[in-house]
Amino acid sequence: MEVLQYAIRKLIGGIPLILGVTFISFLLMVYFGPDKTYELLGKNPTEEQIAEIRHELGYDKPFLVRYGEYLKEMATLDFGASDSTGEPVSKILGRTVPISLALITPGFVLGNVLGILLALIAAYHRSGFIDKFIMGFSVVGMSISFLIVVIGFQIIFSSSYGLNAFPVRGWNVNSFPDYLRYITVPTLATVFVALGYNTRFYRAVLVEEMTRDHVRTAKAFGTRPGKLLYKNILKNSLIPIITRIMFSIPLVVVSGSLIIESYFGIPGIGKITFDAITTGDQPILKAVVGLTAVLFVVTLLVTDILYRVVDPRVSLK
Amino acid sequence: MSTAAPEVVDARTETAEQAIDHRETIWGKAVYKLRRDRLGMIGLGVVLLYFVMAVGVWLGLWATEWGDVEGPKWAPMSSEYWFGTNIIGQDIFQRTIYSTKTAFEVGLVVAVLSTIIGAILGALAGFFSGTWIDEIILWLKGVLDSIPFYLFVAAVAFALSGNPYAMHIAMVSTFWTTTGRLVRGEVIKLKNFEFVEAARAIGVPQVTIIFRHILPNTFHILLVQATIVFVAAIKSEVILSFLGLGVQDGVSWGLMISESTQEVLAGFFNNFLWASVFLFGLVMAFNMFSDALQDALDPRKVASE
Repeated sequence: MEVLQYAIRKLIGGIPLILGVTFISFLLMVYFGPDKTYELLGKNPTEEQIAEIRHELGYDKPFLVRYGEYLKEMATLDFGASDSTGEPVSKILGRTVPISLALITPGFVLGNVLGILLALIAAYHRSGFIDKFIMGFSVVGMSISFLIVVIGFQIIFSSSYGLNAFPVRGWNVNSFPDYLRYITVPTLATVFVALGYNTRFYRAVLVEEMTRDHVRTAKAFGTRPGKLLYKNILKNSLIPIITRIMFSIPLVVVSGSLIIESYFGIPGIGKITFDAITTGDQPILKAVVGLTAVLFVVTLLVTDILYRVVDPRVSLK
Repeated sequence: MSTAAPEVVDARTETAEQAIDHRETIWGKAVYKLRRDRLGMIGLGVVLLYFVMAVGVWLGLWATEWGDVEGPKWAPMSSEYWFGTNIIGQDIFQRTIYSTKTAFEVGLVVAVLSTIIGAILGALAGFFSGTWIDEIILWLKGVLDSIPFYLFVAAVAFALSGNPYAMHIAMVSTFWTTTGRLVRGEVIKLKNFEFVEAARAIGVPQVTIIFRHILPNTFHILLVQATIVFVAAIKSEVILSFLGLGVQDGVSWGLMISESTQEVLAGFFNNFLWASVFLFGLVMAFNMFSDALQDALDPRKVASE
């Protein structure tokens, strides 16, 4: 009951954030975005035709009215159909979001799990050779541009100059082996880059916990290294770890896959949104922006509840 | 990253007097630590080397023929074309060197502006914490953090319809938030110190207290943040150029790499290879320097070593 009350209060508190995100995005993407009038018209349009199309697209209404209509659309979750293809937005989202999730989830999970594992190893051997090796590797991972890794891995794994073992681009998934074939190279690239940042961050968090008195005491009592790392150190540093993972989820879902999707030609949500920005497909943009903002507020809420789960001392006030 | 062992040896070989001289102020201490951080100094050296290259390009001393279309298509590496040529016969060596200037332009503009904005808004939010000023700045920060970065840049680029600085504007307006958050926290701590109380007691105006008395004390945070933003800006430029939202006139490593996406599948790697090597060199060196700077300036890190 307490959690439910807290959730409702938190969701109401998130309304200014949702309004802000949608307002700024609406201003940038819709109001100042590309004008579709002349794309939809034939050659040599008359004044009336122009006015009619503008009216159809809603360009002639004042800004606040259009923004108000958008908020109404968001509240009813009815975003209409895409300007470019005429396909309902809900159908487009239903088609692209699962592809994006299938594409990025393995890399996201592996990047964080391996990051924590490497960080545990590095922190345990602090200032030793293994630590320096792992941290050196992570600085290299941080310094290479994601795009370079993607192109490099493509040359190594998918081109005739390398192993030539995986598809170069596209997304033609009908079975599980297909799926594995298509996600291998993107996943390897994602993990490689994510490991650099994650390992560093997690190591800093773990090292801070390791210098606490209770760890020294546990060590003095002869706790085995494995138990010490898991029970005394990892469990106590869960709060910053959860914060990092949770806050990267909304961004990863929407734009984290954009580079991979546009490079490998995979029709996911990132690519669709990016195309919508460049062509001015407003219904898609409105839906994506609105849902991202809502996702953010929900993430904030879930994160707070997770804090409570891992640390009972945290109170939901 | 800093190695603890050689420092101890160095400190012992010095006389006590010298050691005290170095360690009086936070800056003296920082310079002392920084100069003993071998990796950090190597990083700084490499960054300065790149900087000289960039200034040379800016002064028109070298890489002036980066746009000439004179060589043969896809020439291999030779004494005439050190790094070969690209698909329309431009000299890749000249283009790589010229891109150093572009990288510093993007990095410096974004780092300086976003640090200034972060400092001002962070200081205001921290000094007036709990009031409506703080609320508004925090709200703005939350909103900007919630819009996916690449989509935001794309939107800004199209809203400004082809303005060559659309990329810079988008980066500055999102990158200040981390700096702002850190400065806000520090200012909340500092504003309860006695020197602030003293200034208020003798009637120093609030604006002067914030910007002359408190803000200079957060300079170590600003410096480290600026180096981090510099690296982030250079790396984002590559992705944005690939998406067609980056550098509009001139050439950059990002443009070269996105050019090369067509070439690598045909087996011509020079464009990709050299742009990547130079980009990696600068970012890696800057990261090493930035790490050393953090180690030198963060008192908490000293304590945990």
